[in-house]
Amino acid sequence: MSSITALGLVLLCVMVLVGGKQGWRSFLSLLLNFGFLFFAIVLIELHVPPMFVTITTGVIILAITIFMGEDDLRTTVTAFYSSLIVLALLIFLIVFISHWAMVQGFGAEDSDDLEGMSILIGISYLKVSVTAIVISTLGAIAEAAMAISAGLTEILETHPQISNSRLIEGGMGIGRQIIGTTLNTLFFGFFGGFLSLFIWFAGLHYSFGMIFNNKIFVAELIEILISFLGVLLTVPITSLVMVRRRNLLVDKSTETK
Amino acid sequence: MNSKIWSDCIKEVKSVSILQLSRPKKYLLVGMIIFGVLALIFVTHNQSLYQRPIAQVVSVSNGQAQRTEDEFKNVDHQTEQVLSTRLMNGKDRGKKVTVQNTYSDSQPLDQQYRVGNQLFLSQLKEKDGKLSANPAGLKRDTVVVFLSWLVIMILLVTMGRAGGFALISVVINTILFLLAVSIDLHNQGSHVLLIFSTLALIFTIVSLLLVLGPTKKMLATLGATVAGTTVAILIGVLVLQLTNNRGVYYESMQYVTQVPRPLFIAEILLGSLGAVMDESSDIVATLFELKRIDPQVSRLQLFMSGRSVGKSIMGPLVNVLFLIFMADTFTSSLLYLKNGNSWGYTFNMNMSLGMVQSLISGIGIVLAVPVVSLLGALLLGRRSNK
Repeated sequence: MSSITALGLVLLCVMVLVGGKQGWRSFLSLLLNFGFLFFAIVLIELHVPPMFVTITTGVIILAITIFMGEDDLRTTVTAFYSSLIVLALLIFLIVFISHWAMVQGFGAEDSDDLEGMSILIGISYLKVSVTAIVISTLGAIAEAAMAISAGLTEILETHPQISNSRLIEGGMGIGRQIIGTTLNTLFFGFFGGFLSLFIWFAGLHYSFGMIFNNKIFVAELIEILISFLGVLLTVPITSLVMVRRRNLLVDKSTETK
Repeated sequence: MNSKIWSDCIKEVKSVSILQLSRPKKYLLVGMIIFGVLALIFVTHNQSLYQRPIAQVVSVSNGQAQRTEDEFKNVDHQTEQVLSTRLMNGKDRGKKVTVQNTYSDSQPLDQQYRVGNQLFLSQLKEKDGKLSANPAGLKRDTVVVFLSWLVIMILLVTMGRAGGFALISVVINTILFLLAVSIDLHNQGSHVLLIFSTLALIFTIVSLLLVLGPTKKMLATLGATVAGTTVAILIGVLVLQLTNNRGVYYESMQYVTQVPRPLFIAEILLGSLGAVMDESSDIVATLFELKRIDPQVSRLQLFMSGRSVGKSIMGPLVNVLFLIFMADTFTSSLLYLKNGNSWGYTFNMNMSLGMVQSLISGIGIVLAVPVVSLLGALLLGRRSNK
């Protein structure tokens, strides 16, 4: 048995032991996300336009992460809509930033790994890098949207008459509670992968100027900052979507009467 | 109908934002904008601080695109560019330099330069009074400064004090991280695991102190984070040993200058730390809230509610890390597929390490749920017996 299969089985066991049916679903969502991620690479390999792949894969991964993570439809549908809005905003920002920074493809530090490879593959690495950055932020957006939306659903349940502005304030309040730990999650998640690169930089005595203009470093930094921004945008947008959906629900119930 | 709802919505937002943009917030916003403009002016005029020559592209003449095709039938086009540029630093500042550049359609290592771009030069030499050089990469510090400024401004303006603390925690952790890297280099890469697990412990204490303050909550979260992460790493290492690391290709690890295996374990440790902390602090917060509402709550009840909170957080959190780890392998996987490799080989050489990292982190995130629920239940239960 390969190590990955064994570790996967261990993860499945602890997930089911701790989470029961929900644990099983979490494991399944991980598997599906992996499947769609790999499928996205294969689609780009077959010259499907990367932007099309980005948008469809983005929407699918968001849907899997959100709808398989929770049961309450009020929470999940709100979280899904708001994460879609954030995704749309981020795609514009990412396209703008990556055309400015030009951090696609590989850096000089990658040349060992590229030996013997034919790197001129006829597909724009710039477009591919947009896809990669978008995918790296999806989890963070989905998680934040679910946390805010679940909190707001609870507020609405205990105070159904709360005014819209109070509800938005409530959403921002929940945002303030989660922002510290959420940024930590992203920071450590990315810095874990940074470790060997930083040892490389420090070992070869790169200057500050070299690091802040280095293709690989800037690419990683853009990923972190865009994820932070995704979480920050998710907080007010989820609150707004909740206000709007609440109005729709109220209108519907009065119309039918 | 919809537009009415939206306009209501916008009205609400306006009233809220006017409420929220109290005087200090307005000052903060104005201050941040001034700071941002100053930072951008600095970073667009800092060429003299660089040792390496920097030049700005004045005009470009592109040659004819040449078709290339490799043995895997990948078709691309290469174009020669002659850039006339003006030096922006050094003793020859202001002089014209001619730069030869070749770029392809896909732009993996090369790139197309346009008028106005600022780039670093290498092999700057003078021949017959004319300067020529090779391109050595775009000047990218302006993007870094702009994006950092944008994030910090939105963080502080929307999140206030909480945003400030989050920012301080990120800055302190970055400094600690750099310190640990230099200690590691000092030891020539021996004791990697010792250095970075100490670092992980300090990271956890600092971040939790900043988010929660020196409270009982913080101690419970700290205990759970340390226990959950340690057990997960131990299980991970044990499974890797038992299966003889079959299917794990350490040689595919990128940018390695030291023994890869301990470095990889250290990466897993650091990578999962934030997520485990995030989850533990959420669960602990819920348990303390339950205790506040009902001081008579039993240990079993506390444990069960901790578990039910954790159950719904763990799935999304595992996915957050998984997508971060795997997105990094996207470009190189595509390259492997385009070089005629099979799906299996591409997975092994690019994604196997990311997968192992995701799985071990996932085990840590899941195991932290019962650990933190138990710790919280015991801690709060003992208090009620007094």
